[in-house]
Amino acid sequence: MIEITGLCKAFAGRRGIGEVQAIQDLSLTVHDHEFLTILGPSGCGKTTLLRALAGLVDWDEGEISIDGKPVRGPGPERSMVFQNFALLPWATVLNNVAFGLELRGVGKKEREEKAAHLIQTVGLSGFEKRLPGELSGGMQQRVGLARALAVEPEVLLMDEPFGALDEQTRRLLQEELLRIWEANRITVIFITHSMEEAVLLGDRVVLMSARPGKIQEIVPVPLARPRSADVDRVSQSEEFVAITSHLWTRLRDMQHELQHRGVEAVAS
Amino acid sequence: MSGGQPASAARHSLPARVWRAVVDSDNFYRLLTLLIIGVAWQLLAINAGGLLIPSFTDTVIALVELLFDPVLWEALLISNQAMIIGFAISVVIGIPLGLAMGRFRAAEQFSDVYLNILLVTPISTLIPLLVMSVGIGLAARIILVVFFTFIMIIVNSRAGVRQVDPSLIEMGRSFGASERQLWQRIILPGAMPAVMAGIRIGLSRAVQGMVIVELLMVSVGIGGLILRYRGFFQADKLYAVIVVIVIEALILISLARWVERRVVPWAPSTSKRASGNRGATR
Repeated sequence: MIEITGLCKAFAGRRGIGEVQAIQDLSLTVHDHEFLTILGPSGCGKTTLLRALAGLVDWDEGEISIDGKPVRGPGPERSMVFQNFALLPWATVLNNVAFGLELRGVGKKEREEKAAHLIQTVGLSGFEKRLPGELSGGMQQRVGLARALAVEPEVLLMDEPFGALDEQTRRLLQEELLRIWEANRITVIFITHSMEEAVLLGDRVVLMSARPGKIQEIVPVPLARPRSADVDRVSQSEEFVAITSHLWTRLRDMQHELQHRGVEAVAS
Repeated sequence: MSGGQPASAARHSLPARVWRAVVDSDNFYRLLTLLIIGVAWQLLAINAGGLLIPSFTDTVIALVELLFDPVLWEALLISNQAMIIGFAISVVIGIPLGLAMGRFRAAEQFSDVYLNILLVTPISTLIPLLVMSVGIGLAARIILVVFFTFIMIIVNSRAGVRQVDPSLIEMGRSFGASERQLWQRIILPGAMPAVMAGIRIGLSRAVQGMVIVELLMVSVGIGGLILRYRGFFQADKLYAVIVVIVIEALILISLARWVERRVVPWAPSTSKRASGNRGATR
């Protein structure tokens, strides 16, 4: 179980003036084996929240703990999938997937076996010896996913992993991710700015608002699992459409309010 | 003959195919350029003529003579001693310094201003200074070569570290990499293409430094040879020596490029970039 209590994080603006409150007093509990999606407009602090969870940034106030242990930096029970894939351009697919294990001192034979297995899981068999530059974006993110899974994390942190991909690749990878996740059900925290993606994948959708970044609403997604078998039917179901349109209404209101406040700020 | 397509080329006779291969190779056009320059040179020399401008053919003959003359090889040996030692010192000092400056702010703050001063200072102005302090021996020549070379290597190594994708470092940290592991697995390989480019540029600077120091300060080696031939108005030999220097520089640069391709095969080379994404599909 991940517990976030009273998290605050501010960034200094340019030349130290105009501080930006990226996250303000955010509290959230993520259950074990839960697929949690975080949805919000850009600048709502969702990526900052994920980076804090990963232990990559410090925060000003509040506490993050995983199974009762406070987070003080990166840890072996967490791994991350990056929006821009972050693959080593000089390393083969196999070595990229094995990279996390290599850093943890796992022997060559063992890590390559594990990596080969995961390459198969993400559907990249036969590409083990290729370099990332020879792969399409979708294939590169499969490598990123395999690398994150290779270290057998309890918590998988995904930072808009499909944001840089085209629509059809994105859909295929969503299906693939559902299939993989429904087989092992580790805890996933998934950042996205796509409402459909948030609903299709998540058990709950955390809706965040910008400036300051805080949680507006947590929307449960009661769609039956497994969803990977028939993604098309799920995404056309009444329930699915109802939840996405609710999210859209809320997001649109937030956007109006932001513009309103912007106008006021300019006027005053 | 319109054998532009590979399919139709296969149907042509052997001489036609050989002709195509010749026309398609880059070297053909390089040689053609050389030929044009040679003819233009020859015509100019015949018309303007005289003692000061040797003709193209005279230069070629002098070059062949020179290649069989032990004087040239002795001169090359002397010059290259300073060049190779100076270049090696530059690499040994420059790469670690540049890498440290790219990664650590403190190293940058200590040295940035001085590096910039060295970058804008014409190095030749240091020559009288060097002569006064260390004399005209091998040491002075080595030091000058170092001054010519190591800045380029530092600047490129520093740029190499800075251009390592920050998301790769973040990725490494997220998987729990130590600073040492970050260096070994991410920063060094990431900086390698720029470091290799720095070595290549440094090498050409080292050759320049080697000749300049001999021309301006210590008339030994290749520079000394140039000065001597100038003194005797042996223009053809003078030109031939310059050609030798150019050839040496070209050989060294090709060597550096070859090493570069071995060490950093993932880096986009100039020729690969020119041929578009052909490299990506292979």
